[in-house]
Amino acid sequence: MSVSAHAEVPPPDQPDEDPELLAAFQARIDSGDLIELDDWKPEGYRIGMLRMAEHHANSEIVGALPEGEWITRAPSLKRKLALIAKVQDEVGHGQMIYRVAEDLGKPRDQMLRDLIEGRTKYHNVFNYPVPTWADVAMIAWLVDGAAILNQKTLADGSFAPYVRTMKRINAEEAFHFKHGEDMVLTLMGGTARQKKMTQEAFNRWWWPTVMFFGPPDKQSKRGEQLTKWRIKTATNDMLRQKFVDRFAPAALDLGLKIPDPDIHFDESSGHWSFSQPDWDEFFRVIRGDGPCNKKRVGIRRLSYEQGRWVRRAVLGAPPAEAA
Amino acid sequence: MTASRDNLPEPSPGEPLAEERPSYVYEVFHQSRRSAAHVHVGNVNAVDDQMALNFARETFVRRRPCVHLWVVRREYLAGTPYDLDDLTRSTDHSYREASAYQDVRKKWEQFRTRKDVDEYQKEDLEEAW
Repeated sequence: MSVSAHAEVPPPDQPDEDPELLAAFQARIDSGDLIELDDWKPEGYRIGMLRMAEHHANSEIVGALPEGEWITRAPSLKRKLALIAKVQDEVGHGQMIYRVAEDLGKPRDQMLRDLIEGRTKYHNVFNYPVPTWADVAMIAWLVDGAAILNQKTLADGSFAPYVRTMKRINAEEAFHFKHGEDMVLTLMGGTARQKKMTQEAFNRWWWPTVMFFGPPDKQSKRGEQLTKWRIKTATNDMLRQKFVDRFAPAALDLGLKIPDPDIHFDESSGHWSFSQPDWDEFFRVIRGDGPCNKKRVGIRRLSYEQGRWVRRAVLGAPPAEAA
Repeated sequence: MTASRDNLPEPSPGEPLAEERPSYVYEVFHQSRRSAAHVHVGNVNAVDDQMALNFARETFVRRRPCVHLWVVRREYLAGTPYDLDDLTRSTDHSYREASAYQDVRKKWEQFRTRKDVDEYQKEDLEEAW
């Protein structure tokens, strides 16, 4: 697999690609075929899949950071064990997905540096702070819940190496969500102080999680082509509706109030009606102006720069110095 | 609590990319118990066999039982093209399956009923005799 220049803005279908090859490829996708690594694929497909894998891998690594802060502060040994296992899983998943992206043509080191230098991104939801233990519970319940909804659809995708990875990841993340449910159920079944802490954490995480699925379909530029190629198999709005349909009644069952004055079950559609989140805030945060962007990326930079001696010890010094 | 990581270093511009020993992709095969076949579970990036084994254990053996791991550098694997079977699969290969030999049962029955008739005739002869 030749190493190509790191992908910036992906072009649409390359105009000089053989239209017969493109049509044959689309026919394979439409018939439900899975594309293996060495199969011919359009350049736009390669780059689209690479960007998605890179974004996903970045999110797994960055997502582990706020949870890592709470390992030493978990309220019991049982919670500490589960949290350590969850963090270990997420870093391992990041590794597996970076491998998929590497095989699609981008060197690992370039991906790590692009993240540190702000050229690539991760799920916006991790730019928010985690001030209490109830926030840890909310992340495992709401954010992992949202991620699992999304990842189930990704396992129906067309790129075989990514699909295989998603199936493995989905099996392993099942306990993350169950553990999240366990934490939230425990807290909401506890003291008045615990319930208050949990309600406040819920208020902090509800909207960022609703925005987890990305901007509304009509604002999502590349979604259509990615869906045509079965890189994405569900739209942002579809997933968002599914999330609200499942989690709004669950939250109400727990005795939580939802910070959306208009949220209600609509008998005629059979779905929950909800207000659109503040998309201006979403774009502001994703562009770097969120409460924790600098901190999250800063920890990645710290690890990368101060971990240099570890890489040298394991991998050996650069050739010039070895002389 | 959230102030604990405020002393982070400022970005240092223009640092060159680290040049390290070349690393290789290793495919990983996992054996869940002694009688089982090794199953391909994915791949890792490593500079040598020992590092590949360590990373494989970290990445693929966090929970499932595993008695043995193999790692092989991807370039040492030889493989067939994807359309390998197109020619052979276009003809009927059922003669390779036990299910294509259902007639055998009927043929056994024919032998057994004939044998019954023979025994019967023998008894008749005994009685007559």
